[in-house]
Amino acid sequence: MLFNSYTFILFFVVVLILHNMRFPWKMKKVNLLLASYLFYAVWNPPFVILLWISTLVDFVVGKKLFHEENRTRRKVLLVISLAVNLGMLGFFKYGAFLMENFVLLMSAIGIEYQAAPPDIILPVGISFYTFQTLSYTLDMYRKQGQPESSLLDFSLFVTFFPQLVAGPIVRPGQLIPQFKTPHRATSEQFMHGLFLLTLGLFMKVVLADIMLSKSADTVFGTGRVLLPLDAWLGVLAFSGQIFFDFAGYSTCAIGIAACLGFTLPDNFKYPYAAAGFSDFWRRWHITLSTWLRDYLYIPLGGNRKSEARTYINLMITMLLGGLWHGASWTFVVWGALHGTYLAVERMFRPRKVPGNVEPDHAPEITLLQPATQTVTASFVPSFLYRRTVRRFLLVLLTFFLVNVTWVFFRAQDFPTAWRLLTSMFGYQQGGEAILPTLAMIKVSVVIGLMVLVHWLMRNTSVLAVARRTPSWAVAIVWSIMIMALLLSQESSSSFIYFQF
Amino acid sequence: MQPNHFAKAALLTAVLVLTGLSAWEWHLRNKGLEISYDDGKELWAHVRAKAYADPATSTVFIGSSRIKYDLDISTWRKRTGRDAVQLAIEGSSPLPVLHDLANDDKFRGDLVVDVTEGLFFATRPGAADDPTQFKDYFYDQTPAQQFSCNIHRSLESGLVFLDRDNFSINAMLDKNRPADRPGVFNFPLFPLEFGRVTIGRQNLMTDEFLVDTSLQNMVTGNWLFFRSINKEPPASGARLDSIINAVKISVEKIRARGGSVLFVRTPSSGPFWKGEQAAFPREKYWERLLKGTNSPGVHFADYPETAGFICPEWSHLSPKDAITYTLRFADILENEQGWSFRRMTASK
Repeated sequence: MLFNSYTFILFFVVVLILHNMRFPWKMKKVNLLLASYLFYAVWNPPFVILLWISTLVDFVVGKKLFHEENRTRRKVLLVISLAVNLGMLGFFKYGAFLMENFVLLMSAIGIEYQAAPPDIILPVGISFYTFQTLSYTLDMYRKQGQPESSLLDFSLFVTFFPQLVAGPIVRPGQLIPQFKTPHRATSEQFMHGLFLLTLGLFMKVVLADIMLSKSADTVFGTGRVLLPLDAWLGVLAFSGQIFFDFAGYSTCAIGIAACLGFTLPDNFKYPYAAAGFSDFWRRWHITLSTWLRDYLYIPLGGNRKSEARTYINLMITMLLGGLWHGASWTFVVWGALHGTYLAVERMFRPRKVPGNVEPDHAPEITLLQPATQTVTASFVPSFLYRRTVRRFLLVLLTFFLVNVTWVFFRAQDFPTAWRLLTSMFGYQQGGEAILPTLAMIKVSVVIGLMVLVHWLMRNTSVLAVARRTPSWAVAIVWSIMIMALLLSQESSSSFIYFQF
Repeated sequence: MQPNHFAKAALLTAVLVLTGLSAWEWHLRNKGLEISYDDGKELWAHVRAKAYADPATSTVFIGSSRIKYDLDISTWRKRTGRDAVQLAIEGSSPLPVLHDLANDDKFRGDLVVDVTEGLFFATRPGAADDPTQFKDYFYDQTPAQQFSCNIHRSLESGLVFLDRDNFSINAMLDKNRPADRPGVFNFPLFPLEFGRVTIGRQNLMTDEFLVDTSLQNMVTGNWLFFRSINKEPPASGARLDSIINAVKISVEKIRARGGSVLFVRTPSSGPFWKGEQAAFPREKYWERLLKGTNSPGVHFADYPETAGFICPEWSHLSPKDAITYTLRFADILENEQGWSFRRMTASK
């Protein structure tokens, strides 16, 4: 069920009514659980079974893991959970990819092997709920937190419909405690929720779908070499589309949860205002980047071992992060580029004083730090030393480099990515104009405003700004968003991240 | 911040939205506009589900835009006692839908295939895009999508501004689009007055269109534009044989289940008709199609009662002529093609 559909509106109204009736709390949780299964089942009812398997296995294994002291048995239990969760993910998401690469490998070593392409439908959101349940099992393995005793609460944690199919990826400690006591939105919280739901839908439907998607599709879909202007506008359109689509979903999810009285973690904090790549990953898909940090990067050794090992850990984390998004080598290259950017950024950071313990997270951005100013002072205009200007230039540089990575993320194959990159940087002669003038205006205006808003809002939140703004001004903005949504009249299109 | 800051904002928002939308709706109705439905894949899929009805009570029509303008559905119902399941899709080849119906064992009805030669025998792959997308949606749509579409149709039936082709944000921006750079293709605009769409997927020209030659010229200009950019030669040789053979197989599948297939060439006029005669000589295309598929056909030029229509923009009939054409077409089917209709009583 899509948030941007009439069916969801009716579904949500019914859920809200049931949630606000005078039922016992346990009954309200059962209602939410059944609603979550219904929400998921409308895509493909049999896939609810996958949710049940994941829930039951991790509920049982998690409890045993926490209490088991025998190291061998603990490892066996962990392997069972990983095998079930990653096995399902691997089969449904990576089965065809693995088979295709196996055939290529066989062919490369001279063995002719042909396999019928597997006809596998990807269960929507499987990457999200798999990571969510895995975080519980891994926490229990590390004896962090307490095992959950209520199957109902645990099931609701795995299945909670606002964030089930596209995040935010919630940790057990963030959501399960909220199920322990009755939760119902206050009127103010309910209004916040409605405002965020409207904002999220506006981002998805009006900005991503109406303003940007067609330009991105046109540029990535043509087989021709393009003028640099058209290629860049297509890539910029996609950078906006992917942000508005995904952040729009997260904003809806947070808003819907708020209407029910629950709090979900932020997933985006104006990522295109990031100054550097460690900053970018603290602002983009935050719940995934922190998941990868806590359950992959740090267990691999993080930055606690040698410098070389830190770079390897960084690269492994980003490569797997890329592969998490999709079963294609283009996603791996996307991850590799981000890993490279982070590694280069780390190289340029100032050396730590010996004896200081470095925090265990990705490197801080240090480009254009004052230490370098004296070296470059003679040929760099003085206004560039102003802290704000310097930071803004760094933001633009980061945005530029992020756009290069989006080429691999969006391109369906490497020839397309190569064609786009060579078009963007004018390496090929005879590039063609392809975008209509109106599309160019839409992309320029929306992307320009997006970067500006991200810059201005980089240290605050939309609710904080709305609270400071007079209610009549909030109402005008809110009305414009609702009217734009109603006038958009777009057929309900799926969110991009559902496929991940 | 006051404690009820957001509640106040929400209340004011509700007032502003209701006022704004009411004013917009009032403005459009004041201009004399009537309801028009979004003729996308959702409405098509809704109508497609009716293709399984008893052949005694319904006839399925496929093709391109001409049959959508030329068949007046209410006249057809009154004259034949059958519903018209309109599955034609504008600007596209009917072949994907024909093959789909042929491969659908549940379809056992009477099928009328509108032949616009430039689209029916098109060799460019784009002609099959929409029909393929629409039929895929019909099979893949979820109950939730169907439910959403039903709600949307209910709203469309009461609100003029819910007209995606003309009053959506994209459509309104498009109407004011600036000139494009040389070499950039942009789909030409059609005036709102050219095509209002009913819930049954019939297209209607408005009264303004019928009297305003500038609007008509805008559309004829578009036809000339399409002709100028279409560099693909008409299908011939092995390609033509392959198309006709594929149609024959599909026709035979439908007949084997007790259904029937009839081809119809609806009227065109003026330069369009002349151009079609030159590009698609009748004996090479129309006659070969009927002979190659062993099927009956009704060509407008063969019957005095359908040969004299003048299309306002060379290619489609006015609503008034569509009524006349539909009555005469039904007469031809009954009198010359052996179809039997249950005439509606006055009370129906």
